[in-house]
Amino acid sequence: MNVDETLSAPLADLSPTTVVPPPWLKMLIQIARNCLVVTVILALLALVFGSILRPALEAVNVNEELTALLSWLLIAAIPPALYLTVGFTARTLRNAHPARALVVALLAATLVYGATLLWNAAFPAAQAAQGQPSLEMTFAQADSGVVIESIVAGSAAEQAGLRVGDVITAIRRESIDLAALQSRIEEEPLGTPFRLRVQRDGEEFQVTVNSIASATGAGNAALSRAAAGRAVALVVTAVGLLVPFNWLPYLLLGVTLLPLLLGYTWLIVATFSQETHGLLPVDSTGSLGGLTLSNWDFLTEVSRRGSVWTYTLNSFAIAVIMTAALLVLCSMAAYALSRMEFRGRRLFLSFTLILHGFPAVTLLIPIYLVLLNLGALPIIGEYIGFNTLGGIALVEIAFGMPFGVWLMKGFFDNISWDMERSALIDGANRWRTFWEIILPQIRPGLFALGIFSFVGGWNTYLIPATFSTGTRIANLPVYIQQLLGETNPINWNEIAAIGLFQMIPILILFVFAQEYLLNIYSGGSKGSS
Amino acid sequence: MKVDIEQLNKSFGTVVAVHDLNLDIRAGEFVAFLGPSGCGKTTTLLMIAGIYKPTGGVIRFGERVVNTVQPRDRNIGMVFQSYALYPHMSVFENIAYPLKLKGVSKDEQRVRVQRSADVMGIGDLLHRRPGQLSGGQQQRVALGRALVKEPDVLLFDEPLSNLDARLRLTMRGEIKALQKRLGITSIYVTHDQVEALTMADRIAVMNEGLLEAYDTPDDLYDHPKTLFIASFVGNPPMNILPIQAALEGDAVILQNDALRLPVRSERALKAAQQHGDLLMGVRPEDVTLSADGALCGEVFVVEPLGREDMIDVRIGQHRLAALVTTEKRIRAGNRVRLDINADKLQFFDPASKRSILWT
Repeated sequence: MNVDETLSAPLADLSPTTVVPPPWLKMLIQIARNCLVVTVILALLALVFGSILRPALEAVNVNEELTALLSWLLIAAIPPALYLTVGFTARTLRNAHPARALVVALLAATLVYGATLLWNAAFPAAQAAQGQPSLEMTFAQADSGVVIESIVAGSAAEQAGLRVGDVITAIRRESIDLAALQSRIEEEPLGTPFRLRVQRDGEEFQVTVNSIASATGAGNAALSRAAAGRAVALVVTAVGLLVPFNWLPYLLLGVTLLPLLLGYTWLIVATFSQETHGLLPVDSTGSLGGLTLSNWDFLTEVSRRGSVWTYTLNSFAIAVIMTAALLVLCSMAAYALSRMEFRGRRLFLSFTLILHGFPAVTLLIPIYLVLLNLGALPIIGEYIGFNTLGGIALVEIAFGMPFGVWLMKGFFDNISWDMERSALIDGANRWRTFWEIILPQIRPGLFALGIFSFVGGWNTYLIPATFSTGTRIANLPVYIQQLLGETNPINWNEIAAIGLFQMIPILILFVFAQEYLLNIYSGGSKGSS
Repeated sequence: MKVDIEQLNKSFGTVVAVHDLNLDIRAGEFVAFLGPSGCGKTTTLLMIAGIYKPTGGVIRFGERVVNTVQPRDRNIGMVFQSYALYPHMSVFENIAYPLKLKGVSKDEQRVRVQRSADVMGIGDLLHRRPGQLSGGQQQRVALGRALVKEPDVLLFDEPLSNLDARLRLTMRGEIKALQKRLGITSIYVTHDQVEALTMADRIAVMNEGLLEAYDTPDDLYDHPKTLFIASFVGNPPMNILPIQAALEGDAVILQNDALRLPVRSERALKAAQQHGDLLMGVRPEDVTLSADGALCGEVFVVEPLGREDMIDVRIGQHRLAALVTTEKRIRAGNRVRLDINADKLQFFDPASKRSILWT
């Protein structure tokens, strides 16, 4: 069949009038351009890892395989990437005409094949250099050591005097087995001299053999890699072409999410088992089973460190104080910043933004001094000084304010001035306008900030860990850290259980309030002065 | 209640929004503030409402100076372009809100809200939320809320701009009728001259913070005192042509590089006494097709307006818009002869931009 016909015939139906340039040509140009871009990017990256970063690392005597592996992966990724590119470019056409998608898939195969050929032609040396280092012998494991099974005729090994049946016991003085020998051969660069300690008929002697690139081995490896690459490419193309386009992001997200999901699965499994092997619960003998509730005993036990409920209550108190204070303070501050014009308003806004980015840890010492002095105040000092819940909450509130103010300001900014003017004309004063007219309208924002503050206060670690001593006012995260720091063996499964316990209120909150949390991004992102 | 504004000024930082404004609004009068966006009309309104404090000058409600009086103590009602209904309250609560703030008893609230809602024709919507209402209904609620406390002054800030064209027409008539019936002094801000011309007793035309004119609609249309009013009031806008006038016998010759027009009219005679360059204004409806017309040009664009066609005629480098009946079937590219109604001509001094005919 004439290729031109297959390409242009369906298109003729789609575009009866003459279009310059013809759409199929435009499509081809687009495909070619995309392929070129992808190839160049991947090849450049491979070059960076393989030919620049790796020698650089070797120059400073860091011997590692990651860069080489990355370089190899990138080169291996070129064919599937090309398939993908062509597949995606063709996707838009698939809906218009299935036949054309097929043509494009064939085109993709051709392109990949062409690219591979070109690569091989352009870098023959690179291909050869990738041959596996070899001693040109085959081995088998025996009781006494590694037995030579065969030797390539005329090879360096034969010339060095090795024979079939010799037993290699060690390299230099390091005794080895089959796996160790093979990995040593593979790992050392080409041309490395191996000083083999060999036993023959009870005698022991030493032979030096240099490793060389094995032509057949390299060829085989390259072939199997190429085959694997084609297979992957075909699967990827099939997926790219067949899965509806709008599913693909989910597919990718799912794959990247997997480690996280596995982590949470482990957390849940671990809390109900004595030990875990991977994701499987096992008992102390290592066989499947061993499900138990004993990890949750902390709920009722009172240990040397006190009951877990003390810590839970402390966590709760910090979270509640923080939420309440932030709601009141942030909404009022944000209202003023959104609605009133006063000297230094813009400066204040940009300053709070900087504060938001300020790392809390750098302020720990000054805050310690502040808390000490606050503690010296008469009457209230007892509640807001160092080593008090009030003091911790106070610091948390201070750190939470900048974000909260900006978030709420975004919500206030979205309310029209007319609403407020209308209320003023209707007879309300400023305070009533704020309370009766404006606040009810930013209820979603208040919810969002409230939940955000609560979660932040519930999970906070740095401030309580720094400004509390002992167990009296420590919260749950601090408690977990204390358990991790114990000298006796750590019961990871119990810690997992406490972690899960700490997560429960948050999970409940998220289930019921995710709608409001999403509002942060609708309201907060619009914040500007 | 009458409203007096004397030497009113307002500036935001270095930007002057309103400059030396003087206005007197009689009790029960309906006054429109007309001008392009940014001309200071809404700023003036908000100063009357008490939202903005004047930088200088005096605002009087009756004999009382209200410059520093809080909005809630002015007894005014205001309707906004965005309606500004409180979305978390029902229609009833919205309308009752001013009464609630005044401390009116619940029973009286119910009676007065119902009365106000009935006047606006929304008596059966009281339990609904503003979000469940159409634009027109929301506007009625806003009006009801403004009226319920029986204000001395009603303020409108482009209240019809968010409505569709048809509804705007209906509401225009309703608001005007309502205002006449209740006799409440009203100030109506708009950039739509048709609204101003049809509704207002007097129109204050503002431009760049200055009062350009304060007159009845008819006077503004027929006797524009400045070039700005002439070109701003009236739709389609007035044609303005640079011209020189000279006496020749008892006729006046109006001419420039592309046209020569002999006319006989009092207005032209007055213009001829002014030597040098002039700007001549003529409304499109005063330009007529005429086989023996003195002007000749090529039709550039034809805009069908339904009843009439508006044609854009090129005479040399000058453009002249004319309204002609659709029956003439004028097409772009046609050459036409035109005549001008000399009794309706306007003349302006190009330097001062003021009218030569009216002072």
